[in-house]
Amino acid sequence: MSQTENKQGQVETTGHVWDGDLREYNNPLPRWWLWAFYVTIVFSVVYWILYPAWPYGDSYTKGINTVEYTVEGEDGEEKTVSEHWNTRALFTRDMQSSPSALAQEEWVGKVKDMSFEEIEQDPDTLQFAMSMGNYTFGDYCAACHGAGGQGKIGLFPNLADNAWLYGNSYETIVNKINNGIQGMMPAQNVAEDKIDDLATYVLSLSGEAEISGEAASRGKQAFASCAGCHGAEGKGNEAMGAPNLADAIWGVADVPGCGDDVACKVDEIKHVVNNGIQREMPAFGDRLTETQARMLAIYVRQMGGN
Amino acid sequence: MSTTTASVATEQYNYGIVKKFAIMAMIWGVLGMLAGVYIASELAWPFLNFNIAEITFGRLRPVHTTLVIFGFGGSALFATSYYIVQRTCQARLWGGKLLPELTFWGWQLALVLGVITYMAGYTQGREYAEFVWPIDLLIAVVWVLYFAVYAMTLVKRSQPHIYVANWFFMGYILAVALLHIFNNLQVPVAWNSLESYALFGGVQDAMTQWWYGHNAVGFYLTVSFLGMMYYFVPKQAGRPIYSYRLSIVHFWALSFLYMWVGAHHLHWTALPDWVSTLAAAFSILLLLPSWGGMINGIMTLSGAWEKLRTDPIMLFLITALAFYGMSTFEGPMMSLKSVNALSHYTDWTIGHVHSGALGWVAMITIGSFYHLIPRLWGTTLYSTKLVFVHFWLATIGVVLYIVALWVAGIGQGLMLRAFDQYGNLAYTFIETVSFLHIPYVVRAIGGAFFLSGMLLMSYNIYMTISGARQPASDEGRDAVAAAAR
Repeated sequence: MSQTENKQGQVETTGHVWDGDLREYNNPLPRWWLWAFYVTIVFSVVYWILYPAWPYGDSYTKGINTVEYTVEGEDGEEKTVSEHWNTRALFTRDMQSSPSALAQEEWVGKVKDMSFEEIEQDPDTLQFAMSMGNYTFGDYCAACHGAGGQGKIGLFPNLADNAWLYGNSYETIVNKINNGIQGMMPAQNVAEDKIDDLATYVLSLSGEAEISGEAASRGKQAFASCAGCHGAEGKGNEAMGAPNLADAIWGVADVPGCGDDVACKVDEIKHVVNNGIQREMPAFGDRLTETQARMLAIYVRQMGGN
Repeated sequence: MSTTTASVATEQYNYGIVKKFAIMAMIWGVLGMLAGVYIASELAWPFLNFNIAEITFGRLRPVHTTLVIFGFGGSALFATSYYIVQRTCQARLWGGKLLPELTFWGWQLALVLGVITYMAGYTQGREYAEFVWPIDLLIAVVWVLYFAVYAMTLVKRSQPHIYVANWFFMGYILAVALLHIFNNLQVPVAWNSLESYALFGGVQDAMTQWWYGHNAVGFYLTVSFLGMMYYFVPKQAGRPIYSYRLSIVHFWALSFLYMWVGAHHLHWTALPDWVSTLAAAFSILLLLPSWGGMINGIMTLSGAWEKLRTDPIMLFLITALAFYGMSTFEGPMMSLKSVNALSHYTDWTIGHVHSGALGWVAMITIGSFYHLIPRLWGTTLYSTKLVFVHFWLATIGVVLYIVALWVAGIGQGLMLRAFDQYGNLAYTFIETVSFLHIPYVVRAIGGAFFLSGMLLMSYNIYMTISGARQPASDEGRDAVAAAAR
């Protein structure tokens, strides 16, 4: 086939030749291409007519699309306003009247005046609480406490067990969610010759180690400075968030990680005694709605049984 | 043509600089894609961070993007543009020996410094422009030299007309100069500090960044590679360009329209709504001008389709155009506000970029290089069969990659906007992330396919070049002469 004509044998090249054999046909623009281009132009013009588009001066064309939403006037009356299409108005409208917003509003209204116990006893409202609690916990709490609330020993309390540092009343849980927690145990200055006995004594409270005779009395004596918070029998104090040391549940010292190795367990306890604990949970009150915090409390308590 | 063509050509034209850039393009391509496969694997298996700061995703990601865009793509563009401008102007590269060499060493230095600074944790924090300010200055100098060398070669051409590929290269060089300068207007903290602050703030800064970001795609990765296409497709097909008129129309339409669309990366943000609308509409307007290039390339082959059976280079070039057509259709769709509400902040965007970057940019470059390299060294390709294998590795790689990220992106987008019957969010964010694991694994596998193709190509090219250094038999010389036609 000749280089100067296409398969119809009609179209000529431009007559220019580069680099030996580079030529160009002078085919017209493909019809369908041209018409499709015109269609996109029409589409764009329509798009510009519908939406805010072209700037002029210190303003811009507003477009003919409008968005309606309600506002509360100064007199407390609700009234509908209509604005040209804009993302803020769209957001306000969706938060007011999208199907999911309406569904949520209905359920929030339903549980608003119900007590925690009432919500828990009604399977429908309990389902709602679990649904709201699930995404709230997943997005705000799980990063530290883990997706199942299992926590991380030494760092983040386990929410899925039955030990509640501050007790498990709904009011307390909501209060802690909203205001955060400063968890603090001061480092103890225990004499070198007593600390092993103290640690062993603490372990003996939950049967993790055995101690008797003089060692036991030395340990018990040293425990006197712990008893102020943890109680004389080491059963803890929920008002202060001092954990129960006698329940074989360990949140800070990794006693379970030691298996049967008593020396390892003793070291774990000594480490906590010598260094104290400094933990902080941030306050979430500003980031959650009242209902979110309440439903979250129900969700969290469900994790840990009662 | 006689056997002396090759040696005459090497004297008539500056091929040394083309060879250097071509080899560096291959090296950066392999390294950049290796970094890409590694960070893709990190996303699928985060332990691969090994808690080493230098190789975490955040630091290796700019290493990957810089090496593939500026290292592989950039060096390939220098190589092909220097080759094309000389051959289509029938003029030796302007600037003597020194200036083209300076563009080479300056560019390579910028890349090496970029990789070192990113891994050490220094970045400007601007996507695809992470280079700290001293490297930005180096790049600006190199680019001015590039412009001078290119423009002056055009000026002293011994052809009456300027071939279409050169318009595209010239457009890209000018636009990238503009983009680089305005996006990198920074105030250094001190003369001896690598830190700097952007001149603009807030939404203006974001707009500048994405005006740059999208036009980097538009001019650096599209207009320039169309220049490559306009030379290598008709050369390899042995047929004239389909339509001179179409090339003019789509060149000017592309150049005009691209500059408006960057803001579509910022839909549903603090960006004024009217800016958003303009960006979306101009993106739709961009669809057909983009397709103009695809049509011109594919129709050039019309009437010689049988070449696709025997010529794997043609397969690369045509498949590249097909991916170009697909991603320039997908792009305008994603830039519509309603589609963008789903796609934005998901991996759909990453998949889209790679259907352009791997499917279009890399494939057109690979095809062009298989044509170019034997001619530069005056020899024939070591193995055509390996080019076929490479073609399938690359195609399977791209398809796995983009399908995986369609699933990832659309899936995550839908999960993020799902509500249950109580009007509560149906999924937590972390649930959407766990969902990504399998698509991420498939994406990493797709990337590995593409990388293995590049390694195969490196081998093929190495053997081609080392073969060219052996004294050729008479038969070989004839083949060379035929190939250098």
